[in-house]
Amino acid sequence: MKMGDEACKRALIELLYQLADDDFILAYRGSEWLGLAPHIEEDVAFSSISQDTMGHAAMFYQLLTDLGEGDVDQLAHARPSKERKNAILLEFVNGPGHYLSKPRYDWAFAVVRNYFYIQAKKIKMESLKNSSYEPLANVALKVNIELYYHLMHWRTWFVQLMNADQTARNRMETALTRAFADFDGVLSLGSFGVEMARYQLIEPEEMLKKKWEAYMQPVFDSVNLTMPVDFGKKSGDGRAGEHTADLDRALTILGEVYFEDPAAIW
Amino acid sequence: MGSKGFYQEYEVFSKRTDTSPLQYQFSMLAPNRELALIMAQENFMRREPVADIWVVKREDIRKMNLEERQTLKRLDNKDYRNTKGYGYLKKKWRQYEQGMLDEKEILSWGEEKKGENG
Amino acid sequence: MSNVIFSNQLTDDEKYAHFMKRIEAGEKIEADDWMPDDYRLTLIKLISMHGISEIMGALPEKEWVPKAPSLKRKLGIMAKVQDEMGHGQLLLRVAEDLMKPLGKTREDIMADLFSGRLKFHNVFHMEAPTWGDAGLIGWLVDGAAIISQTNMLNASYGPYARALKRICAEEVFHAQHGEAIIMALAEGRKEQREMVQDAINRWWEALLMFFGPQDASTTGTSKQDITIKYRIRTKTNEQLRQDFFSKYIPRVRSLGLTLPDETMHYDEKQQKWVYQQPDWNRFKDIIKNNGPKSKDRLELRQTTYTENQWVRDALERSDSIG
Repeated sequence: MKMGDEACKRALIELLYQLADDDFILAYRGSEWLGLAPHIEEDVAFSSISQDTMGHAAMFYQLLTDLGEGDVDQLAHARPSKERKNAILLEFVNGPGHYLSKPRYDWAFAVVRNYFYIQAKKIKMESLKNSSYEPLANVALKVNIELYYHLMHWRTWFVQLMNADQTARNRMETALTRAFADFDGVLSLGSFGVEMARYQLIEPEEMLKKKWEAYMQPVFDSVNLTMPVDFGKKSGDGRAGEHTADLDRALTILGEVYFEDPAAIW
Repeated sequence: MGSKGFYQEYEVFSKRTDTSPLQYQFSMLAPNRELALIMAQENFMRREPVADIWVVKREDIRKMNLEERQTLKRLDNKDYRNTKGYGYLKKKWRQYEQGMLDEKEILSWGEEKKGENG
Repeated sequence: MSNVIFSNQLTDDEKYAHFMKRIEAGEKIEADDWMPDDYRLTLIKLISMHGISEIMGALPEKEWVPKAPSLKRKLGIMAKVQDEMGHGQLLLRVAEDLMKPLGKTREDIMADLFSGRLKFHNVFHMEAPTWGDAGLIGWLVDGAAIISQTNMLNASYGPYARALKRICAEEVFHAQHGEAIIMALAEGRKEQREMVQDAINRWWEALLMFFGPQDASTTGTSKQDITIKYRIRTKTNEQLRQDFFSKYIPRVRSLGLTLPDETMHYDEKQQKWVYQQPDWNRFKDIIKNNGPKSKDRLELRQTTYTENQWVRDALERSDSIG
């Protein structure tokens, strides 16, 4: 990365917000599941993944702090939804209800969303290991270490539920339809994607997408699932700051105590 | 409700490092061994290093019952099996001005000495 | 089989005598060993309640996991609540193995919880309306739990003792996690200090109740005699409560916080803390699922259990696919 190149810095900051916000909101959705998973042993395992993911978000926010974007907790808690760059698929609620009252959470959606996302994240981290911005390459190297487990965990659930009884298969297919409809948003690098590739911060979006399909194809084949020709961005473009009411409600909860006194030490 | 088959008992074993022995951790319920395997580490080894994990279905383990555990007791009269029964050699070798090849000495032979072999 | 012959050779009285000799010698009883029925039933009751209390105990704190005020606090409390679920896992496994000869499984434990047959700990029926409560639970409720659990580390039942050893090691982290939250609030602004003080006032009675009644004369029943006889625990409820006071009251006061009991003091002559008794009728009512949050938490647990039933059904016969 050429220091002092404003266009490059702009693209870098954009990329870091995408990475941080993606992990942060998905870790939040994971934390809502805490105590509510289909099986106690799984609850414990899933929580470790949510913790890892929030830990990764913290590392990406720290890179933004280092670039003068502000304090880590302010970045995580205080930015309104229109400034958030996460993919919309990751902000969707886990299901109807609230995490404290009548949560009719959908495990099929959790499995599909997490599996698809982690595979995409893994591909991004592999690419970022060669990023021209060295601090990001270093973080990617570390984050990548924990993704082997996340991937194995979610792939196992995915394959097993896809191959289980008809009820499970139907639920999984419903979840797949929802995930595919907005999965383009996860693979998208947004309007600065061209610059990101030009400055060799990360590979071009099309490349990442091809790799994702290549990694997923054998798994899809094994569970008798067809790869769609195209993914969608049905609910909007999160990279451009477009979001749903789901995100606003999440941000209110995430910031409830923080906003009581953002300057206080907690 | 009625998913008893989901709750299979698995025993979890792990190694802390590549060179450490397999150690028993705890038991867990899982529907099959693949899921048991992906849940094991986070349930029992969240805060310690792990180099390997084994999960074993409990019904495949032959355990001892209380009476059988009595077969494990034995008398403490077997010095002849241990170095303890051969301690007198130390004194003997001293007469020949030789050191004792004790456990510490013998197990050190495998180590590469500093300064040798580059 | 040799064990069949062996077992046939002894009368129940002889087996009982042998069993008592073993536990009095400090030997550990294992899941498949012969044990008197009241030992098994006492353990099942104690450990399934302990285990399900951990699972229910995740719920009051769960509210504060996404709401914690910083990334660091979010991670800390997520790890802490995860541990509660993990402790539930360990304890339920121990209870499930004891229930196995009775033909019962984890499903029966959940069914008993929902029907009200299986009680969970009084503290987890209470409200936790602020971040101060999240800190206080970590500090004092976990503190009380450490006192009662370390008392059973040498329990005669081996699997329980081993589970408790794991649990107590993690409780050290919980205690410090709770202290860290409380310390930050106590050293913080006026509103933050008030948050802690309010939480103490709110939780004090529940903390007194935590260790259970002094003896059966208070509430009509008490399991403490049988658990002491069978070397499952050593100290009485009141001894544990006194230990809790000795460890924690000086710490509460050192932070400039007060207890909502003006009579509370240490009586040098009696060598014990003198305090105002909680309302033990209210205690009985709370553990009968009539506490302020009993119904909500049970409903939360039941909704999610029912919603996820399809997952367990789907993989019911997956063992051979594995």
